[in-house]
Amino acid sequence: MLVGIPLESKEARPSRPIDCAEEMSSYLVEVASDRSKVAFAKIFSYFAPRLRSYALKQMGNEALAMELVQDTMSNVWQKAHLFNAEKGSPSTWIFTIARNIRFDMLRKLQNRKEDVCADDLWPVLCEQTADANETSLEEQVTLEQLGHLFDALPVKQRVVIEAIYIDGKSQQEVADELEIPLGTVKSRTRLALQRLKDMIQEHD
Amino acid sequence: MINFHPTSTQLQRFAEGNLPPSEALVVSAHCDMCTQCMAVVKAASEKVAAEALSKVSNDPSLDAILANIVQQPVAERPSISVPSIDTIELDGREFKVPRALRRYVRKTGNWSSLVGKLWQAPVDLGDMGMANFIYMEKGGRVPEHTHKGSEYTLVINGEFSDGIADYDSGDFISLDGEHTHAPMSDADEGCLVFSIVDKPLHFTSGLARLLNPFSHLFFK
Ligand SMILES: [Zn+2]
Repeated sequence: MLVGIPLESKEARPSRPIDCAEEMSSYLVEVASDRSKVAFAKIFSYFAPRLRSYALKQMGNEALAMELVQDTMSNVWQKAHLFNAEKGSPSTWIFTIARNIRFDMLRKLQNRKEDVCADDLWPVLCEQTADANETSLEEQVTLEQLGHLFDALPVKQRVVIEAIYIDGKSQQEVADELEIPLGTVKSRTRLALQRLKDMIQEHD
Repeated sequence: MINFHPTSTQLQRFAEGNLPPSEALVVSAHCDMCTQCMAVVKAASEKVAAEALSKVSNDPSLDAILANIVQQPVAERPSISVPSIDTIELDGREFKVPRALRRYVRKTGNWSSLVGKLWQAPVDLGDMGMANFIYMEKGGRVPEHTHKGSEYTLVINGEFSDGIADYDSGDFISLDGEHTHAPMSDADEGCLVFSIVDKPLHFTSGLARLLNPFSHLFFK
C-alpha cells in the first residue's frame, strides 16, 4: 500500500496534494462506479487550480494551459476506473496524465512527426494497467487462440463481446442495438470474460 | 542479470516528461524489463507530482470547464483490449518484446542480412530517425565504429560484448561520440538488441571504413 507514505521533503509544504490522498481516492472510486458529478466536482476543485499553476509554467501561455487542464480533467472523468489506489496516490496519477498530455501537446506544437506517443512511454491510461495483479488476457493468448475461444462462448455472450471488443461499441450502444437492458449487457460481458479466463486457464 | 541502467538524471528527467523522445523510448523499454528502475521512476514521479501540484492558480474560467466535462458521456468499457503483437520472429525463434516497443513491431521492415552473421530490421520512427532491431548470431560482429550523435541500445534477449563491457538481457547502453566500440556476440543463442541512433555511425577500422559513405543506409 503506497498511499500516504510521506514524501521526503526538506521543507514542510502546507498543502501537499498527498495529504488528502485517501479522500481524493474515495471520490475517484465514486466517479468510476456511480459517475458521481458531486465527487468529480470535489476532485476538480482541488486539482484543477493546481494543474493550472503547473500548466501555466510548462506551456507559458494561458490558452494552452487551459487546454492542458481541460484535457487532463476530462481524462480523469472518463477514465476514473483506471485509477488504482494501490499503485499510487491520486495526485501522482493525475499528474502523470497531465505530463503525458503535455508531452504530446509540445510535440504537436513543434510540428514533429516523430512516431512516438506519451502512452507508449508512460502507460498511465492503458486499459491493462488497471489490473496489476491479474495477468492480462493478451499476455496469455494469441489473437488466433482468442478467436477459437470466442467461438466456444454461448451466442448471446459472444455477440456482446464482439460488439464491445471488436467493433469498439460502448455497453450502452450494445444495449440499445440489441434492445436489452444495460444491466444485461454488463452481466453478459462479465460472464463471458470470466468464461474466457477459465478457458484460458484450462488451455494452459 | 541487468548491470547497466540509465543514470539517475535520465530517470528523473524521464519521470518529469523532459527526456527527448528517442531516449525516453529506450528508457521506457528498459523500465519494462527492470523492476529496479521502474521503482525509481515511480518514486521520482510521486515527488515530481507533489512538487508540480503544490501551487494553486485559481481562475473563474475553470467553472466552465467543469460544467463542460461532466456533460461528456462516458464510454463504458471494461478492461481488456485487442491483443497487441508482443513478439518478434527471426529464424524460427520468437523473442518477447518489452511493452514500450510493441507498437513498433508492426512497423518493422523485413529482416536483412548486413555483414556476416548480423541481421537488421529497421523501424521507421518518423522525424525521430531510424531505429533498428539488430540480431547478432553467435560470432556476429558490428564493425568498430564511433558516433556523431547518440546511440541508445537495449538488450532485448541474449548477451554481447563491445570491447567496453559485456552486456546481458535488459541492459541499457547509452553512447555518444566519445566512445568507439565494436559490438559482437559470442553467445550460442545470439543476441537481439533495439537501438536508436540520431546520426549515422562512423566506422573507424579496417575495411569497414569503406562502409562510411553508405552507413546512412543501415545502422542509421
Ligand atoms: Zn534498470
